[in-house]
Amino acid sequence: MTSHDTVSALVVVQLAAPAATLAAIGLPALLGRPLTERATTRIVGGGFAVAFAAAVSVLGLLGARGFAPVIVHTGTWFAVGHHEATVNLVADALSMPYVCFSTGLCWLVNSFAGKYLHREPGFTRFFILLALFGTGMNLMVLADSIDVLFAGWEFVGISSALLIGFFFERRNAIDAALRAYTTYRICDVGLLVAAVVIHRAVGSGDFGRLFGADWPAATCLVSPGTATVVSLLLVFAALGKTAQVPFSNWLPRAMEGPTPSSAIFYGALSIHAGAYVLLRCEALLDAAPVARAALVVIGLGSALHASLVGRVQTDLKSMLAYASMAQASLILVEIGLGWRVIPLVHVVGHAVLRSLQILRSPSALHDRHELEAAIGGHPDLGSWSPLSWLPARAQAAIYRIALERGFEEPAVMGVVGPIVRLLERLATAERAWVAWLGEKRPRHDERRA
Amino acid sequence: MSGTEVLSVESVHGLMLGLVAVIVAAPLLAAAAVALGGFPRSPRTPAAAGLIASLLGAALLAWLWHACDGVAYEFGERLGGGSLVHVDGITAALMPTVALIELAILLVAPKRFLDPSATARLLSGAAATFALFATAHPLVLVALWIVTALPTWISTRGTPGGRPAARVFATVMLAALGCMAAGTVLMLVDPPWERGCGLVGNTGGWLVAIAVLMRKGIVPFHSWYPALFSGAPLSTALAATMPQVAAYTAVRLLMGHADHGAGVGAELVVLSQLALGTAAYGAALALVQRDLRGFIGTLAMSQSALVLAGLAGHVPMELNGAFCIWISSGLALTGIGLVAWALESRAGPLSLTTPQGRFYDAPAMAAFFLLFGLAAIGLPGTLSFVADDLIVSGSLDDQLHAGLLVITSTVLSGIAVMRGWFFIFGGPVAIDGPRHMILPRERVALTALLVPLFVLGLWPAPLVRSLERAAEQLLGVTADGEPVAAPNARPEATIEPP
Repeated sequence: MTSHDTVSALVVVQLAAPAATLAAIGLPALLGRPLTERATTRIVGGGFAVAFAAAVSVLGLLGARGFAPVIVHTGTWFAVGHHEATVNLVADALSMPYVCFSTGLCWLVNSFAGKYLHREPGFTRFFILLALFGTGMNLMVLADSIDVLFAGWEFVGISSALLIGFFFERRNAIDAALRAYTTYRICDVGLLVAAVVIHRAVGSGDFGRLFGADWPAATCLVSPGTATVVSLLLVFAALGKTAQVPFSNWLPRAMEGPTPSSAIFYGALSIHAGAYVLLRCEALLDAAPVARAALVVIGLGSALHASLVGRVQTDLKSMLAYASMAQASLILVEIGLGWRVIPLVHVVGHAVLRSLQILRSPSALHDRHELEAAIGGHPDLGSWSPLSWLPARAQAAIYRIALERGFEEPAVMGVVGPIVRLLERLATAERAWVAWLGEKRPRHDERRA
Repeated sequence: MSGTEVLSVESVHGLMLGLVAVIVAAPLLAAAAVALGGFPRSPRTPAAAGLIASLLGAALLAWLWHACDGVAYEFGERLGGGSLVHVDGITAALMPTVALIELAILLVAPKRFLDPSATARLLSGAAATFALFATAHPLVLVALWIVTALPTWISTRGTPGGRPAARVFATVMLAALGCMAAGTVLMLVDPPWERGCGLVGNTGGWLVAIAVLMRKGIVPFHSWYPALFSGAPLSTALAATMPQVAAYTAVRLLMGHADHGAGVGAELVVLSQLALGTAAYGAALALVQRDLRGFIGTLAMSQSALVLAGLAGHVPMELNGAFCIWISSGLALTGIGLVAWALESRAGPLSLTTPQGRFYDAPAMAAFFLLFGLAAIGLPGTLSFVADDLIVSGSLDDQLHAGLLVITSTVLSGIAVMRGWFFIFGGPVAIDGPRHMILPRERVALTALLVPLFVLGLWPAPLVRSLERAAEQLLGVTADGEPVAAPNARPEATIEPP
């Protein structure tokens, strides 16, 4: 077996291992025979461990050959005329570090959640969704075509929404899940249309026809016009998952989900999915200065918004959500500035730190008590504020803006509210019309009587 | 090795005709046995046997068509351009789907619903639907429209509180049947599939198009769709809408007109524009429904409109996507409807104004509802993802606004399905309430509907190839835009001796 074959096999393993665990725990549950908690965590953990080991091995093998990419052709999914959906995977300097840290984090969270959710009624459901998320994430990261990337992206979105609504006995969890899913779904339009535009432009969704050379030195192979359209659509798609203004108000509410999923989704992986897609398509951005500028402006605005709003939050998980958003925004700015390796390093560093913080957040009070007991009093954190040099009225105004979360919610509801009201009126009118149609009308002789 | 190399063409023809006979006759025999009082206590058993025979026959027919290189088969006197028995790619792909839908409905039906007369109605309706999907004869199509609509009307009328819905259904169907009959007669007098057709033939075409609009529940004739789902037993509503007899009629009567070189009649183009609007409108209405039945009715209206929208495509890819949606939405929405029926039979009508907390009551139902819902809205790995990909790509190739409306419909449907799931299964749990576990026959039926959605989603190539051939035959062009050797198979028999 050649080195190329070995890498190809290991790449397939990275995808197949979490997918197999999804089937292994999902099918018995569907047939009414869910596995025990121990078996569930072992199977899912085993799947992630195998994928992680395969990813590390491929990273080592690629490193030994100077990170020359390996394209794995698993075949054509389906084809109609010139339209072809291929299942091509890629192992290169971008995908392999990403898979290493994503499967590694999933593995760790699996271990954490096995104890954290012990005897929770939705235990199996959580692990099914974690396995679905892991499969989707690996599919998205390893994709060498826009079709496969879109498939992974959808898995990530659906598992994310279902985990936000994990505690669906509570109305807040349901509302938060629906808000997140609605945002995802709207922004997914960008990726879907981008996929179609790419197919029309190059006759296939393969990235090999869009970019020349290897990441991070990839070059754009399509016209600047196509590159600009596709880049803007990808930026739009990224706004939802990365929680950028005006699509950010789902993120703090997403913390309604269980802590392990919050850590891995909104501290680590899902929040950076948009950044990954933009990094993968960096070569297109190089030919689309408008998209780059949009990315920088939106990123800076969202970073400012998140850091202001995050400072006045009164609960730890919301504060961490806004901190995540601020960092994700800065990563988008870095991508917009044309940097390639720095955003990747930033993603990995931020993801690891933030998921640790979120995982520790339920123990924050306990940690604080331990700290106070150790030092024998309250730690002095000072009261310095970066805005202290501003006049008091300006500080109050900024505080108000931050407290109202930048008035983003009223602005969004100003657009969505009238649409929903219009639809409700239409539905009411439809019901009235059907009721009138279905009424029994007196016959002529009855009317005369 | 192809099927025609193993068997002679005559043998293949004989086999196909025999299979069609079995598919139609088996449920009829079962209906007769049930109606004559042979099985007063357990009408489900003979009914299931009849529908299983139909399903096996349909599967064999599909395999035979595929194995014989996709040659169309016609049989019977052609009075004005339609054969009595017509088997091509559409029939081969849709017949097993329809059989599976009918069988699943029968298996999930609650015991108290399944008295001998209801069972006989269900079976005779199924037999009529099978017969309709095996013919291309205009007059037979008209007759079968009547036969398929009757059991729906009788069943709805006999349901407590169902009379208003039956009136709405009857009003629209009578109008549709009138248009269909008049249009068919005019089309037979002056066939539009022959060059030089005049005003009479064109008027006939437009009347048939209006009939299709009504029977298909396309805006502005859509009101009977949610009304039927609200007032009729869900089995009746599903059996009446999921096979999509109007779409089949549109394929047979409005495609392949000689005056339209691309193979699509002008009527179908207008229908598709209205269908696109209906798809988006139905999905938007599904978002704000107050009860489960209204939600399913509007979602079904949206999804079935997508099929008609794709049928007017000038490229085989779009047509292929429409056929895939036909299959995927039929199976997925039947699954959603059957889960809803099973839930309602245990817990009564379900509202969507507040979360109903049904998860811990019926976790398996929740899983099936979610999987069917995701399979209806384009989850990767399901057939609807492939269908959406083809229809969006095809329609964007064809008309930009069509693609955008399809995307809008898909996005809104997705949000509506997720809302429906959370509002039915989420919410505070009644701790002391009784738990209603899923019954084995329900699990079998729902699994049987689910498996093809995922298997064909993960391995769609054979189905897509097969439907591509059917689409090319109908349009007369290949997916690459080249003319096919034998354009629309209507005028002449298409099997050549080996």
